[in-house]
This record gives sequence, C-alpha cells and structure tokens, in this order.
Amino acid sequence: MITFTFNGLELTARTGQSVAAALLSHNERITRLTRISGKPRGIFCGIGVCFDCLIIIDGKPNQRSCITEVKEGMVVVTQDGA
Amino acid sequence: MEHKHQVIVVGGGPAGLNAAKYAANAGCEVALLDSATRLGGQYWRNTGNEIEDQATHHDFDQGSLLMDAVTANPRITHYPNTTIWSAAILDDEITLRTQDDVFSTTRLILATGAYDRSLPFPGWDIPGVMTAGAAQSLLKGEGVIAGKRIVVAGSGPFLLPVASGITSHGGKVVGVIEAAGRFAWLPEILTLLQNPTKISEGLGYLLTLRKAKVAMRFKQAVVAAHAGADGLLDSITVANIDAEFRIKSTYSLQCDVAAIGWGFTPDTSLAGALGLKEEVAADGSVVVVVDDNQCATSPQPEVQVFAAGEITGIGGSGLSLAEGAIAGLSAAASRTNLRQLKKLRRRAHRFALTLQRVYSIPAGWQSWLTPETIICRCEEVNYEAIQDVSEKFGADDARSAKLMTRCGMGMCQGRICSRNVADLLNSPDSDRIKGVYRPIIAPITLGELAQDGLL
Ligand SMILES: Cc1cc2nc3c(=O)[nH]c(=O)nc-3n(C[C@H](O)[C@H](O)[C@H](O)COP(=O)(O)OP(=O)(O)OC[C@H]3O[C@@H](n4cnc5c(N)ncnc54)[C@H](O)[C@@H]3O)c2cc1C
Ligand code: FES
Repeated sequence: MITFTFNGLELTARTGQSVAAALLSHNERITRLTRISGKPRGIFCGIGVCFDCLIIIDGKPNQRSCITEVKEGMVVVTQDGA
Repeated sequence: MEHKHQVIVVGGGPAGLNAAKYAANAGCEVALLDSATRLGGQYWRNTGNEIEDQATHHDFDQGSLLMDAVTANPRITHYPNTTIWSAAILDDEITLRTQDDVFSTTRLILATGAYDRSLPFPGWDIPGVMTAGAAQSLLKGEGVIAGKRIVVAGSGPFLLPVASGITSHGGKVVGVIEAAGRFAWLPEILTLLQNPTKISEGLGYLLTLRKAKVAMRFKQAVVAAHAGADGLLDSITVANIDAEFRIKSTYSLQCDVAAIGWGFTPDTSLAGALGLKEEVAADGSVVVVVDDNQCATSPQPEVQVFAAGEITGIGGSGLSLAEGAIAGLSAAASRTNLRQLKKLRRRAHRFALTLQRVYSIPAGWQSWLTPETIICRCEEVNYEAIQDVSEKFGADDARSAKLMTRCGMGMCQGRICSRNVADLLNSPDSDRIKGVYRPIIAPITLGELAQDGLL
C-alpha cells in the first residue's frame, strides 16, 4: 500500500498502479480543466497516447497520469489549463 | 548517454518480443526499447501480480513464456521506460533519441503497435467516456474496474474481451453496443472457420456475457454523451443506425463509463520520421509498407529497417507474433523456419482482413456531429471550425486545416484527430500519409529541446 495526496486529500494506492488508476479507484475522474473552455477531462486512451489525463505531480505540470506510476508521498494536483 | 547495438527493436509487444527473440536466437546482439515499465505491449499487459494476471489474460502462458525467454536471453538488453521521441538516418546510421539517451544501429525493427481508433460525437470529451482499450488496460494492467455502470460500445471483436473481462471481475456492464449487425460475419463464415482458436475464444466471451445477462445490442451506436452537475458522465444517447451509420431513432441509457472502440489505428509516427514508405490500407488507416521479409522501404539503402506488428496493419496478436518472428529472422539474415512462419502469417493476415471487412466503418458517423462537437481534443477545435476551413478557404487537406485551426497541433500531435479530420475533409491518400509525418513524435517540453540544442 502507498499513500499519496490528491488536491490535499490523503489517498491510498496499490504498489505499481498508475496515478490515473489510483485516482479512479477512489472515483476521482477529473485530472485537468482545459486551457480554452475550462472543461473537465479525465483518462481517455489509458496508454499515454492522447494527453488528456494531464495532471500536476510534485509540482511538475503536464504529466500523463495514466502512465506515471504512483509513488509514496506523491503530491498530485488537478491541472487547471493546458 | 550513447548506446550502439547490432539490432534495435522498438516496442515490447507481441511483435517486438518475438522479433528480439528470433534475432537473438539467430546470433544477433539486440536492444529492446519500450516506453512501458513492463514488457508485453498492449496485449500482455500485466500488473506484476501473477494470480491476477492469469485470471485476466487469454494466452497468458504463451506471453509469460515469451517474456521470460526474452528476459533470460543474454544477447538481449531490455531498456524499459524508454520512449523514443525522434528518429533519423544520419551518416549511414539510424539514430534514435529519448529524453536522455541516444541509440544507434544499422538494423532497426519497428514494432510500435497501435492505439484505439476513436470517432468524435457530442460529449466524447466528458470524463467517463474513454476508449475500449483504456477500460481494458485499467483492468488488465491496473486491476481497476473503470466504473460502476459501464457501457462497452463501438465495433469489432475487441468489444467482447473488454466486456467479458469487466463482467468476470465483478463489474457491471449495462450493455454491449455493436454497430455491425448480429450476423454481419455470416458472409465470411468460411474464412472465419479456418481459425477455430479465435472462434472458440470469441464464443467463450459470449458465454461469459450471456451468463451475466449482459444485453448485446446490434446496429446501434453511442451518438451523444451527457454530463451530470458534477461534470462527469451521467448518461448517453444510443441510436439505432442504418448500414451507413446514420441515426434512425434514439433512446437514453444511464452509465458512468462509456468504453468505446472503433478498432485500432497504427502508430506509425517513428516510421514517418524515418521517411519509410507508407500507404493507406483497406480499412483507411495509414500503415508502413513492408516486403515479404517485413523489410520496409528505407530512404537510404545502407541501413535496414524492418516493421512488424500492427504498424503494418491491424491484425491482432497472432499476426503480430508471426510478423515479429519474420522481422527478427530477416534482420539476422537467417532463414530457419521462415517458410512455416510465412504460412502462419498468411493465414493470420487473411483472418485480419476478413474482420476488417465485417467491421468496416462507413462515413455516416459524421452525421452525429453538431457544430459544437469537439474534433481535436487537445486544442479544443470544434466541427464548425473544420467546416469553416473547408468551405471558406477550400482547404481539403489535414495540413491546411491544422495550420488554420491548430487542430492536430496539440500535445497528442494529431494521433487522436488526424484520421477523423482527414475523413471529414475527404482528404486524398497522399495527404493522409503526410498528415502522420512528425519528426518529434512524443512531445517533450521546449526547455528539453533547447537543452539539446535543437531550438
Ligand atoms: C489499449 C489497448 C488494449 C488492447 N488490449 C487487447 C487485448 O486485451 N486483447 C487483444 O487481443 N488485443 C488487444 N489490443 C490489440 C493489440 O493492439 C494487439 O493485440 C497486439 O498487442 C499488437 O501487438 P504489437 O506488438 O503490434 O503492438 P503493441 O502490443 O501495441 O506493442 C507496441 C509497443 O511499442 C511501444 N512503443 C510505441 N511507441 C514507442 C516509442 N516511440 N518508443 C518506445 N516504445 C514505443 C508501446 O509502449 C508498446 O509497448 C489492445 C490494444 C490497445 C491499444
Ligand atoms: S489517458 Fe491518454 S495519455 Fe493518459
């Protein structure tokens, strides 16, 4: 078991899981808001192709949550814009 | 860091794994580069938990045997988490770049596979709408069921393992919605019967779905998605469609996930960057052209480039395996078992073409769009903007549409929208091929480019 935070909330994940999958297992489906219309987006292709699941991880924006493995103590924040 | 290898294989799916194995067994020193942490590609995706993996995987034994053989082979070096973002032929050598490393070789095997083909419709950008492959990779690779009420939709045999996998892991599939008719395969029955293992695999999935009382609907499609107050998927509009995919009547269905797949699109971006010859296949996708030995047409004869698996055409894991083996042998200039392998490939290829015919996608999906429907998800370009380009400026190619609307210029580099934009603009084949040419294939930040002295 791994603990990480999402928008300040403490969540758990299984070792080896992607950030997107860990979020989804807590029913968190929105990873970012779009740059132009501010609409919510979440996981779409699931394999790193579409760049819809972008999220801020440990302060770094534009990370693909579906192919980034969640790590102990990670700080994950919804990405607003981009 | 710089790495030089006798043979380099890009892609660790069925095609790349077999290519590495056959080339190494024929005496070559091989590097196997893959962007994922674990080998297996899209088919043998695994969580690293053997019990779970065995339960979700068809052919898991074959996959683990192959992966073990590759990992144990001293002639093969596996580079995990290695995404190639540019490829070029320089000074009679092929150079591949990741963010930190440079790989070079004179013999390259490309096995970069495919991703789900998506068709746009109103609301397809709402969180909860995803590809069928996404639902599958969540289940197989992550051990997560995508939602509480899942609709699996689109067209093709891939919908069955997705729906049956979710069902047998305790998930609720509220319907499988297939655009083709219930008996669409009947005219092709003779070819299909020549592949009994595939047929029994399909029947197995159908049995699981029937036991779980999952409704199978035919000649229907998801034509709109609707969000609830929380912005998440709440319901979908399903249409009865005619043979051209035009809407006849509609009804609504509640669900929190719509996993939709319209077959697959080959990821030929590396091949395009290398200037390999590509063509538009019978199913409308752009594929790498190869000869009988899986050899691609390289712009410089001093280097050899082979291509195997779904980048040469969509055909499933069996065809990918056969093509990978042939590419591996060819790269090693060996002929051991070549004839049998070619026979295998021929049969798998015939089966693949048959399925493409049965589950072909006519242009009627374009009538589902409204002016506001997003076409390019990255740059949020809607249908109206694309129509404006073609009507006002007479642009009929994806490149002009791209320059005028920014469509296809976002982070995914047009992987999701370019095929649809080409369809909407009725682009000629030459533009479809040009449209997938991209020197930088996996986006990196401008800072990283500048650091490398490329800007
Ligand atoms: C999401 C998804 C799920 C699927 N699930 C199934 C399934 O459950 N059952 C089934 O029968 N078929 C499934 N398929 C169909 C699948 O495409 C084929 O069955 C088969 O995996 C194709 O084999 P391949 O070796 O050609 O390519 P793939 O298996 O797609 O392997 C290609 C590999 O290349 C790597 N790659 C691509 N570009 C680069 C790059 N630039 N740098 C480094 N590495 C790169 C990818 O990470 C991947 O590992 C799925 C397809 C997708 C897209
Ligand atoms: S969901 Fe497509 S890149 Fe992550």
